[in-house]
Amino acid sequence: MGTPGPDKAPGKPGKSFALRWLALNEKTRFSLLLLAPSGIMLILFQIVPILIGANASFRDWSLYDPQRTWVGLQHYIYILTDPNFLYLVLPNTLLLMVSSVSIGLVLGLALAHMLNKHFFGHAIVQTVILLPLMVAPVIASMMMRWIFNDQFGVVAAVIGALGFGQIAWLSDRWPSFAIIVFTDVWLWTPWFTILLLAGLRSLPKEPYEAAAIDAASKWRVFTHVTLPMMRPIMAVCIVIRSIDCFRTFDQVWVISGGGPARQTEVFSIYAYTEAFVYLNFGRGTAAAIIGAIIIGTLGWGLYKLLNRFMEVSR
Amino acid sequence: MLRKISLKRALTYLSVGCAALAVSLLSPAHAQVKELKVGYMKNPIQEASVDIMEKWAKKNGVKLVKIPMAYSIFQEKVTATLTSGNDQFDVIWHNDDWGQLWIKWLARMDDVKGMDRVSKHPLDAFYDEDGKVSAVPMAHTVGTFFYRTDLVKPEEVPTTWAELVSVSQRLQKEGKVKWGYVGGMAMNNTWFSLWWTMWGNKCDIFMPMWERDNKKLNAAGWKPALTEPCTKEYVEFWWDALYTHKISPEAMTSYTRDEANAIFMAGDAAFTLVDSTHFGDFNSPKKSRIAGKVAMAPQPMGPRGEKPFAWNEIWGWGIPKGVPADRQKLAKEMLGAMLTDMEGQKAMWDATGGPPPSMDAWDILSKDDKVFADLKNAVFDQNIGTHSAYYFPAWPAVHKAYSDVMIGALKGKREDIPKAMAAGMDAVHKAANGGQ
Repeated sequence: MGTPGPDKAPGKPGKSFALRWLALNEKTRFSLLLLAPSGIMLILFQIVPILIGANASFRDWSLYDPQRTWVGLQHYIYILTDPNFLYLVLPNTLLLMVSSVSIGLVLGLALAHMLNKHFFGHAIVQTVILLPLMVAPVIASMMMRWIFNDQFGVVAAVIGALGFGQIAWLSDRWPSFAIIVFTDVWLWTPWFTILLLAGLRSLPKEPYEAAAIDAASKWRVFTHVTLPMMRPIMAVCIVIRSIDCFRTFDQVWVISGGGPARQTEVFSIYAYTEAFVYLNFGRGTAAAIIGAIIIGTLGWGLYKLLNRFMEVSR
Repeated sequence: MLRKISLKRALTYLSVGCAALAVSLLSPAHAQVKELKVGYMKNPIQEASVDIMEKWAKKNGVKLVKIPMAYSIFQEKVTATLTSGNDQFDVIWHNDDWGQLWIKWLARMDDVKGMDRVSKHPLDAFYDEDGKVSAVPMAHTVGTFFYRTDLVKPEEVPTTWAELVSVSQRLQKEGKVKWGYVGGMAMNNTWFSLWWTMWGNKCDIFMPMWERDNKKLNAAGWKPALTEPCTKEYVEFWWDALYTHKISPEAMTSYTRDEANAIFMAGDAAFTLVDSTHFGDFNSPKKSRIAGKVAMAPQPMGPRGEKPFAWNEIWGWGIPKGVPADRQKLAKEMLGAMLTDMEGQKAMWDATGGPPPSMDAWDILSKDDKVFADLKNAVFDQNIGTHSAYYFPAWPAVHKAYSDVMIGALKGKREDIPKAMAAGMDAVHKAANGGQ
């Protein structure tokens, strides 16, 4: 029985896991145990697949003939120099993100504000507003595709009745893009509404009472009292929704398939096409990782910016 | 005390129950429950073929699990399943487009009963290098030109593109239809517009024209035929059809066959071209306003055409190699039963208009079925000079690249078509060479 070596000495970097574990206080140990199942799940179902995917992105890995030979950064260089990715896919993705999130936020805030007041039929209106949240995006997108069909669609019928003739919505770039944005906004505005409504209901009453004493107008109360207090919630909504919107797939795939001629292609369609249409799993994975890096950086930047903005406004 | 006894009793019952369940799951009786999983697309012809198989399954005590999938994701989903090696499906729908893509992962079917009585030419896509075949035919898929008998007499049916335009415009002018021709044009539906006119004008996607031997195409460097005069002619035909003659809706560039079929079945168009398997839908009073008013005719030809073009391919069934041997054997038995069920194949033809897979069924139908005679005239007696796809793994990529180039050209100016074709050469060539 020898004395413990320097690597096993308590408090030294090399000390064993058991000793480190015992060195933690009971509360920390209990917290870590509670976190363990979700941590294990996260590693198994998120981290490991990402690492496997990252490995594929450095290899020649076609789905029908997976050679798996190391090609280094070849796929990354291809994507980052692909004019379609740089000048079509990325701008489309960012445009979809900015337009959908900003319109959704404004509408969500308006609806939340409306629902924050009591009126006759409040419960029914609230239920109706929340209905799109219960519709699967793929179903909603199919509905929209037929609603905007130039021959049978409801919109075509109304526009035709107004004497505007038939509009080939889905065969042109910007009309199809507008329908995609519209669908995304329709689907996600209720989500904004719920969160913002919860935020509105949790605001303190005192600032409103003070504003009432000062005889501030409703608009002034909204812009100078409500909005500043709602900024933290709005910031969280914007960050979460922007990240989610960046990876939108169903709406674009069903409504336009990224067409006409790739004109409405967004990042997720690009990665999917590379992996499952061109069957180039390596390149598809590289595209997905590039996208993840972009949205990670963007999300982090956005969060920092909004945080700073909130600090300044306090 | 009482509560303790109840808990003890409940735990005893639970243990006994679990043991009984485990025994029942592991017992030979349970192992004898045979099950086959079929992955297919929701389509009348496939459902009809599955019905034939289900008849056999019921008779033989086999549980048939049907797993329908959407066309738009079918190839991607099944490719991913096959390459991952799991046995999610025992039988899958197999299409000539993917014949070479999946050849590595599918069992050989030469030993299936009835395979000696099927047409060989449509199986070209499914042979491996040893001459063994990887699909059992389900039905022939033949692009068929349909016309409205209440609007056009048989002798007035257009035989050329020029006639298609003039007859369509006459019918539109008379207020009988909104559109002359409708057909799918969006990605994966290219056959129903651009491609039938391409082959009908003696043109093709790659040089040499109408060649399908991969060695020869490889030697020629997979050179696209986009800058050939015959290509310019058929692209201009469609540009004029959409914007100048207005015989087709402008939004047709975004139509799948579903949208095109809906317009045709609503009675808003005089002509369409789609698989003959949709004939059943066109003539179903529950679905179509033009039921009983639809007939088939040879495809109108382009200026270079000498005899109407037609294609004769098959949809088939495949068995993944990853399926255990006993289930493969059972699946082959089922497919053999489907292939030799003449009554079932005749019922499939009657219900859908899908030409049956067995030549024996053709012999029966040729004797006394007028519609089959019409289809024979429209398709099988015409110029089946090549296949309606290329049979190599990069084909889906080529299709996508080609579709993007064509739709882009049709959304631009007419005078820019040659420029768009020249610009698309590289994309199509790269797609054929795995993106390189």
